Amino acid sequence: MKRLALTDLSLKVWAVIVFAFLFAPIAVIIIYSFNEGRLLVAWNEFGFGSFAAIVTKPAITDAVMVSIQTGFVAALIATALGTMAGVALARRAGKWAAPFLLLLVLVTVTPEIVDAVSLLPWMVFLGQDLGLSIFDNGLVRLVVGHSLFATAVVAYIVRSRLVGIDESLEEAAADLYAPPFKRFTQITLPLVMPAVLAGGLLSFTLSLDNTIVSAFVQVSGSTPWPVYVLSAVRTGLRPEIAAVSTIMLLLTLLALGLVAYVLRRAGDSATDIAKTVGGG
Amino acid sequence: MTTLTERQSASSPKAPRRRPRWMKLPSFALAIPAWAWLFAFFVAPVALVVWFSFGYKPGIFGTHANDVLSFDRYAEALSPTFFATFQNTLWVGVVGTLICLAISIPFAYWLAFKAPVSRRGILLAMVMIPFWTNFLVRTIGWQIILAPSGVLSEALQSIGALDEPLEILFTRTAVLIGVVYNYLPLMILPMFVAFDRVALPMREASKDLGAGRWSTLFNVTLPLAKPGIVVGILLVYIPLMGDYITATVLGGAKGNMAGQMVANQFQTAQNWALGSAMAVVLVLTILTTVAIAALISWLAAWPLRANQKLVLGDKS
Repeated sequence: MKRLALTDLSLKVWAVIVFAFLFAPIAVIIIYSFNEGRLLVAWNEFGFGSFAAIVTKPAITDAVMVSIQTGFVAALIATALGTMAGVALARRAGKWAAPFLLLLVLVTVTPEIVDAVSLLPWMVFLGQDLGLSIFDNGLVRLVVGHSLFATAVVAYIVRSRLVGIDESLEEAAADLYAPPFKRFTQITLPLVMPAVLAGGLLSFTLSLDNTIVSAFVQVSGSTPWPVYVLSAVRTGLRPEIAAVSTIMLLLTLLALGLVAYVLRRAGDSATDIAKTVGGG
Repeated sequence: MTTLTERQSASSPKAPRRRPRWMKLPSFALAIPAWAWLFAFFVAPVALVVWFSFGYKPGIFGTHANDVLSFDRYAEALSPTFFATFQNTLWVGVVGTLICLAISIPFAYWLAFKAPVSRRGILLAMVMIPFWTNFLVRTIGWQIILAPSGVLSEALQSIGALDEPLEILFTRTAVLIGVVYNYLPLMILPMFVAFDRVALPMREASKDLGAGRWSTLFNVTLPLAKPGIVVGILLVYIPLMGDYITATVLGGAKGNMAGQMVANQFQTAQNWALGSAMAVVLVLTILTTVAIAALISWLAAWPLRANQKLVLGDKS
């Protein structure tokens, strides 16, 4: 029995170490957001100066606004496309399903840098060679770039949720002569709603986080927040960046809490939530 | 399951025809928008890049030209200067994935079997929180920690473990720490789900039948959790190989990951042809290594497969 307790204890110690590792840089960023110094990396003294400075710097607020707008539109598009694709995959899988799944898998496994370098010449081609000036717009480019991976993720989540639900409700509606569109909006959609919401919020956070694709497709004038931070890495990091990150961390936590709340209300256990989010 | 019942009801003539209108719409109608969107903004652009990779850079001001096609850009991408970077990327990718694996197995095991059930949800959420904090910002957090005058360096010096400031930032070790950190949650999550599916009764049965603790772990738990472990490895390895943000922040401006090299060709050198060839080589490297790893694990499991009898549930 003594050896048993020892392995359990060492596993527990390991877990504590892993959590410390996972939270170390986040804790550091939160602490350094109260740095009054001129440079983020060099700690000077405690203060709220960096939070006050955010408001006076239009470049920062603009970048955050661009990110939020992009995230919102990209999440809407990805959720709409992904939900329909997920429903089709779960309910009407035919011969087309295998190549379509392959396409989704390809989208998810392609390294982001490859997406990024592909989209840059493509946007230039669409915008300048084909004269579709909409693709010269910075927001449009960002939304398109952010929606690709997210569409695949939403499709996975919606599909895995719907596969677990019996089809009898939809069949009953069909027997009662509900037209297809009504059946979709009144039966299928409410059934997958938790997955749709989870997918939408995931798409939003993925978009907020997107750095590589953004850095390539962005047009000056609509720089999203991560690209602003990336350029600051090269020119010099200031504490305002940590301050904005602290605020955004709080907002992300709120969003995640919301997902968990919605899923739990729909009757999923915590483990199932992780499974849904993990795409399993 | 659904496809099976559908097929049965469609093929058997006596079955009453349910869902008559359902059948009238082509079955893939709902997937068309996503298909079109991904085709226009994923398949087409990637195909364009593959096409560019057979071209060349015309003069100083051009970015690409395709009037003469050749494999020369591939030869250039694999020339010694750039090949070293691919080697380095592969090293970071493989070692980083292995470290993630070594960290995750005991951790996910603890989370699935030892952690208090009531707190499992919140613990899982805690694993995911860093994952949803901005990628770049948490990497900057590591820059602060690993700096020569940073927290870690000072702490190590004050306890006497180190005589001089820590010189780890802007080295390959720093990049390795960064990528392990950034992709670890992607390994833990599917692995936890996999362990969680190996029901406790299965493990208890193994013990009741006289298997020891380690024997249960290696013959029952790990083999049953294998699909999740494989997903975790892929989720970590693929983005890790293409990563260039971590290397830029922690490896210095002239870090050496393939992602940075590709980005440089497009952004600084303006040689889209060479950059495209490098991107294709990167993707091929990832696919080849995954295939080799799959082959090795398949061959390694050969002697084991002969006496493996445990099958959990149906294969759906």
